[in-house]
Amino acid sequence: ADYLDNGNNKMAIQQADKLLKKHKDLHCAKVLKAIGLQRTGKQDEAYALAQEVAALEPTDDNSLQALTILYREMHRPELVTKLYEAAVKKVPNSEEYHSHLFMAYARVGEYKKMQQAGMALYKIVPKNPYYFWSVMSLIMQSISAQDENLSKTMFLPLAERMVEKMVKEDKIEAEAEVELYYMILERLEKYKEALDVVRGKLGEKLTSELQSRENKCMAMYKKLRRWPECNALSRRLLLKNSDDWQFYITYFDSVFQLIDESWTPPPEEEHSLEGEVHYSIEQAVKFIEERITEESKSSRPLRGPYLAKLELIRRLRYRGCNDEYKLGDPEELMFQYFKKFGDKPCCFTDLKVFVDLLPSSQYTKFISQLLEVIPLSATAENEIALPADIKALQQHLCVVQLSRLLGIYHAMDKKQKLTVVRELMLRYRHGLEFGKSCLKTELQFSDYYCLLAVHLLLDLWLEGEETAVWQCLTLLEEGLSHSPSNAQFKLLLIRIYCRLGAFEPVAELYSSLDAKHIQHDTIGYLLTRYAESLGHYAAASQSCNFALRFFHSNQKDTSEYIIQAYKYGAFEKIPEFIAFRNRLNSSLHFAQVRTERMLLDLLLEANISTSLEESIKSMSLSPEEDDIPWKDLRDNRDLTVLFNWDPKDRDISEEHRKLSLEEETMWLRIRSLTLRLVSGLPTLSHTILPKNSEKTAENGVSSKIDTIRSLLQQLEAAVDSGKKFLEQKIQYPVLGPPPTRMAGFFSNGSCQCQTSLFYLVSDIYELDTNGLEDSAEIQERIGNSFKSLVERLTDLFNKCKGDLIEVGDGTLKTHPNLLENLVFFVETISIALWVSSYCDSVLRPFKSNLQKKKKKKKESSVTMPPVFTHFLDYVTELQTLTSNVIDHIKGLEIILTALKLEELSLKDTLLLQEEKKFTKTVQGKVQSSYHHSVQEIGELLKKRLDTIKKLKI
Amino acid sequence: ATALMLCMFTVMGKAEGSVAREEWHGHVTALSVAPEFRRLGLAAKLMELLEEISEKKGGFFVDLFVRVSNQVAVNMYKQLGYSVYRTVLEYYSASNGEPDEDAYDMRKALSRDTEKKSIIPLPHPVRPEDIE
Repeated sequence: ADYLDNGNNKMAIQQADKLLKKHKDLHCAKVLKAIGLQRTGKQDEAYALAQEVAALEPTDDNSLQALTILYREMHRPELVTKLYEAAVKKVPNSEEYHSHLFMAYARVGEYKKMQQAGMALYKIVPKNPYYFWSVMSLIMQSISAQDENLSKTMFLPLAERMVEKMVKEDKIEAEAEVELYYMILERLEKYKEALDVVRGKLGEKLTSELQSRENKCMAMYKKLRRWPECNALSRRLLLKNSDDWQFYITYFDSVFQLIDESWTPPPEEEHSLEGEVHYSIEQAVKFIEERITEESKSSRPLRGPYLAKLELIRRLRYRGCNDEYKLGDPEELMFQYFKKFGDKPCCFTDLKVFVDLLPSSQYTKFISQLLEVIPLSATAENEIALPADIKALQQHLCVVQLSRLLGIYHAMDKKQKLTVVRELMLRYRHGLEFGKSCLKTELQFSDYYCLLAVHLLLDLWLEGEETAVWQCLTLLEEGLSHSPSNAQFKLLLIRIYCRLGAFEPVAELYSSLDAKHIQHDTIGYLLTRYAESLGHYAAASQSCNFALRFFHSNQKDTSEYIIQAYKYGAFEKIPEFIAFRNRLNSSLHFAQVRTERMLLDLLLEANISTSLEESIKSMSLSPEEDDIPWKDLRDNRDLTVLFNWDPKDRDISEEHRKLSLEEETMWLRIRSLTLRLVSGLPTLSHTILPKNSEKTAENGVSSKIDTIRSLLQQLEAAVDSGKKFLEQKIQYPVLGPPPTRMAGFFSNGSCQCQTSLFYLVSDIYELDTNGLEDSAEIQERIGNSFKSLVERLTDLFNKCKGDLIEVGDGTLKTHPNLLENLVFFVETISIALWVSSYCDSVLRPFKSNLQKKKKKKKESSVTMPPVFTHFLDYVTELQTLTSNVIDHIKGLEIILTALKLEELSLKDTLLLQEEKKFTKTVQGKVQSSYHHSVQEIGELLKKRLDTIKKLKI
Repeated sequence: ATALMLCMFTVMGKAEGSVAREEWHGHVTALSVAPEFRRLGLAAKLMELLEEISEKKGGFFVDLFVRVSNQVAVNMYKQLGYSVYRTVLEYYSASNGEPDEDAYDMRKALSRDTEKKSIIPLPHPVRPEDIE
């Protein structure tokens, strides 16, 4: 066993063999050997050996544990349940084995059996946790039940009765048990009863979470729409802590509900279960003003009361009230707020929520009012006044952010914008002084100045200033050099490099972000959207792998979390874990990387290193199977991961999100159908087809072509809806969701090529079934398809021509679309070649038959049908075309190598000497990335060219 | 997320019998506040809450590990009443070629530890493998 722990699997196998020679039936040794075999890749032998031991139904601890480890490594957790089922039958009183059995069921989600196992355990050893394991299993049955009625009328009431029994017998011990009781009642919508439990004696056990009882009561009051209690409780909690925002929200919600209901307190009784109730605006106003008075006495300034006042104004305005209640002018209140909290980094986000209260005519005045109170000092006349300490810097930064939010910068002309950029950069560099002692892991205080300057430059770029984008990258690289942990710099660099078509620097930036766990789902799209489409195939594989590794391990990890939750009685977490797992399983990004990863593997390997058929087999792909949960697809992308300070009308909207998901789903459908169509190719080929049509139907080939034809129809439909979608010409905000590759796919013609190729497959199949005689029409159709395909592919090639990096007089422009078109060309030609090799597999037997005939009859009358020449011509043309593209790529490489960007001086940029250094780095990175793209694309295409030679029949 | 705190309640691995009870404590696994919400006292607030819960659960002390180089954090914890109990050598394994870093194990005694025995500093640093 030591050998196994050290990873020396071979030695482990040898030692186990030695032991087995001495003791033939030493189960444990056999299992250890099996583990060794499994780990050395001999899965089948390992399985056989394990089953040998399992069949004997072992009851010794060592064998059971070793088998459990083995089965887990084999990803066969269901076998563990069998193992312990047998063990508890033989040793019915073992607490240990029963509890292993329960956990084994938990791992595979056998809720009903868990319920029974829990009860069986409780009968052997009457410990509370076991009883409640069983109860929890009932809840899980109710959650997983398809029939909601069943869960509400059977599982949950049963669970409730089980807990009630323990309550009556006064056997409730742990906090977890009360939590569970609450959970059941909540799910049964017995809110009144749940409230009684929490408020009663059992509720005293709820101590692990702060204010757990209060929070639960509040939730129940809300469900029961008991506004007096909601109000009184939130009021009480605010008296205790006037900085807890959630209770202000409930307080206001309930006050206005009570006003709308014209509620009045019952005479001569307590207002409510929770004490005094506020039910008028006057009371609310007074209450908030009192909170502010109280705040002034507190040792630490609290934001809550002041923000609550603004919130109250907002709500009153919404109800049509102006300043009837004398709360004050929001502009003045926000000014006061700024004076008090302007030096806190959160001041901007706090005020952002309330800028709607300002009339737009007051924006400029408001901003200058704020600026006036910041202690800035200029060293000389006409110089920019700078902050003398971090607090003043924070205040100033807050005003700059607000200016951007209020659209003040957006309204400026180009010259003004550039002046602001210079000012912000000056402030940025000045601010670095305050952060000299910062660690590498800390951010610089003035980082946002740099980021805001870049946002201004981005505006200019989008307005058509080509050079501005280079300045963006320059400033960001400079910022990153001073603040190497700033994720916002990295994220923005990633987005801009990708927009320019340069993926190489992105991989490194992304890896320095050190994305973990769920982030592979939420921000992974930043990588996977661009890696492949820009021809960085190796990086694309890698980025898909990061994501897939996470998604796959999540499946396993979740089971472990669930087991732990049972062990520690964290019952309320179990449904959360399961919901989390479901959320990941239906992730859009997961489906995308799954699909793209397979397409990419085929592109890189199929018919190059392994045959298409083998590749498809090793991926367990089949054209009939669709593993994408279309209806439940969830967009888990974090589309706001990049900061921005844009006004609402420029910011990412809900509509953008909706449209982007729609677009991504359409594109995924096209990609997934393409993959399935390709995976159908080998199912058609090299099957010797009997002429008898009945037999064909029997051996399933005719159903295969039906599948392909139906997929092709679906592809056409998907393409149609994609085209309709694009007609809307949606422009997402520049930092919002990146558009898919769909527009390029349609406009460069690869879509048409690929669909025609799949139609060709259908024709070739027809030729295959009809034979060479009486198929002149089909042959002609195939011939025409060949011709038009060559034309279309040539058109596609033409769309790849041009300079990737265009250097003008003081200008520099990249053309990433040429790169994307090249990548589409390679993919399309690959599909063309896979289809050709299917065609080849159909024609070859025909040809050898004909040649045999020719020899036999020694007749010259046996003429070659036209399809052979068509095919030969087609293949030759594909070869020529591919060679031309390879030559073109070589040309691009030479140009890229020769490009001397360091001599280029960009106009209109006012770059300082120290900035120029970064500009060179940036340009160098882009140039090198393009070089890299072109190289990878060229190499793949060369490999594809080699495969054409095999097609000459 | 604005601020994040992971914590757990645990008993030291080696402790047994009556000692075990005195080792029952709250442990801060991670504590972080988003840059925008710093300078508001959120970390102190979170620590306060954990101490409150630990008191309720009858813990003897609260402890945490922090990079020796993270002076900002070390000072903050000191201000909150924590003291260095011991140094754990090379507790943080380094990435990209930098050397491993030591950790301070910092502790604050709770009211149940009336004699404040749990926080008497150890005279010598320990290795990570010795702390469990």
